[in-house]
Amino acid sequence: MNPKRLLALTRAGIMESLYFRLGIFVTLFANLIYLVLVYYLWKAIYASSGTDVVNGMTFTDTMIYLILATAIFNFLEMFVVWDMSRSIQSGKIVLDLLKPMRYRKYTFWSYTGNHVVQFFLTFVPTFIVVMIVTHGAIKFGLNIIWFLVATVFALIINYNIEMLVAPICLFTESTWGINIVKETIVLLLSGATIPLAFFPEKIRMIVQYLPFRAVYDIPLSILLGKSGSDTWDGLLKLFGLQIVWLIVLTVAGNIFWNCAVKKITVNGG
Amino acid sequence: MRKRGLKFYMSIYRKILIQDLKSKMSYRADFIISTIGMIMTNLSGFVTFMILFHNFPTINGWDYYHMLFLYGFSLVALTPVQCFFDNNWNLRFMVQSGDFIKYCFRPVNVFFYFMSEVFDVKGLGQLAFGIGTIVYAWIKIGIPVTPLVILKLIVFLFTASLFMIALMNFAAATCFWIKNSGYVMVIMFRFKDFAKYPSSIFEGIFKVIFTFLIPIAFIAYYPSLVILSPDNVPVLSWISPLFGLIFFYLSYKFWMLGVRKYDFTGS
Repeated sequence: MNPKRLLALTRAGIMESLYFRLGIFVTLFANLIYLVLVYYLWKAIYASSGTDVVNGMTFTDTMIYLILATAIFNFLEMFVVWDMSRSIQSGKIVLDLLKPMRYRKYTFWSYTGNHVVQFFLTFVPTFIVVMIVTHGAIKFGLNIIWFLVATVFALIINYNIEMLVAPICLFTESTWGINIVKETIVLLLSGATIPLAFFPEKIRMIVQYLPFRAVYDIPLSILLGKSGSDTWDGLLKLFGLQIVWLIVLTVAGNIFWNCAVKKITVNGG
Repeated sequence: MRKRGLKFYMSIYRKILIQDLKSKMSYRADFIISTIGMIMTNLSGFVTFMILFHNFPTINGWDYYHMLFLYGFSLVALTPVQCFFDNNWNLRFMVQSGDFIKYCFRPVNVFFYFMSEVFDVKGLGQLAFGIGTIVYAWIKIGIPVTPLVILKLIVFLFTASLFMIALMNFAAATCFWIKNSGYVMVIMFRFKDFAKYPSSIFEGIFKVIFTFLIPIAFIAYYPSLVILSPDNVPVLSWISPLFGLIFFYLSYKFWMLGVRKYDFTGS
């Protein structure tokens, strides 16, 4: 596949997202308010606990973790489930299937533009504000590069989770329900709601190996130097987990999509 | 136009509601999955609590059961917005596509007619979950059960629900002015997650913002203090019903202002 064609999709996505500039500023503004809420909540929680470090997380660690989790959530957010069910209802999906490119590939690359714009216009500013608020608590070194690599993996894993869930709509005619179930599970088990370090030992043992962790917890742990990511050994383990899930989910998603696409019935499309 | 009474609107609401439920019944799988989804979001909130209290004994002087009460209170207070005002989520699509014009041609209140079109059944799952949580926490804390306390609970639950409805009205009505206003709604909707924490955690300017500008402190914290600490109720709790009505009225006016503006563009 000619990379030029793929990048053309990215460019179109960038232009489309920039057209909705206001949405980006609203998201950024909301992130800042969210930052305030998280700050006061966890400040109160840590103040009541009496110790500075709980489960290896200090107040600053927790705050950076949760705020950047929200920022990553914003920039990874895809509406594949909604888009797919809407294009099935309207019949537009037929046009997408007829395009001279695999549907999965086409969807992925048309979203990349949005990811790029969201990364620079919401994630980076949020990151800078977090740095200022915490007086530069994030160490700058190789961890930034590893964090970016892990985030790219996270993006692909997240996309594959979406693509595994979206075709379920073909069978159930339910969009809101499927989407909320997916979102709840991913946000809770990935550590975006509450850092995985706080989970009780036994539950953490299981959650550690699930794919959801690869989306939020692994990039953030690498950034903060937690979960043994400050050693080569630990770093390899985390990346290994991401790569294994990436392969498993891609293969599973491909098979499931190929089965599901045969079931599509478009009413009067 | 002749002024119509409450009775007239009630009978219309009943008729539209039956139509809506009939159409929902034809998507049974969707209904079941949505209900499961709703219960899962509530359960996930509950699990977050368990994990928090697994690590920390109290939050700002609030123990586990008091926090549970607050959580249950917020869930019940958020039910009306879910059940009766869910159509706000469709507003921006209707306005963009021009379908909204149909609401302006009926001889009933536009706001009423628009909201009456959707009754969200899955909100009832949240109601049940919320009541269960309140009852459980109530027994554990050992609040005496008297008719007066029950009456207070109902009045202040009603009060609390007004704030979230008003917030969502404001958020939804922004679509009359700006494109892609979905973001505003999603963000407002996410603020409700913080309603379940005691608002005493905020300080300074942010205390003012989260009390009067984005009143998440009123969704559960201030109204529930009337039940939780009857000896020491802040003034803000007592005036919250009045404040809620004003806030709701303002959001209604804002919404209707949007409708008027929509008419004039003549799309």
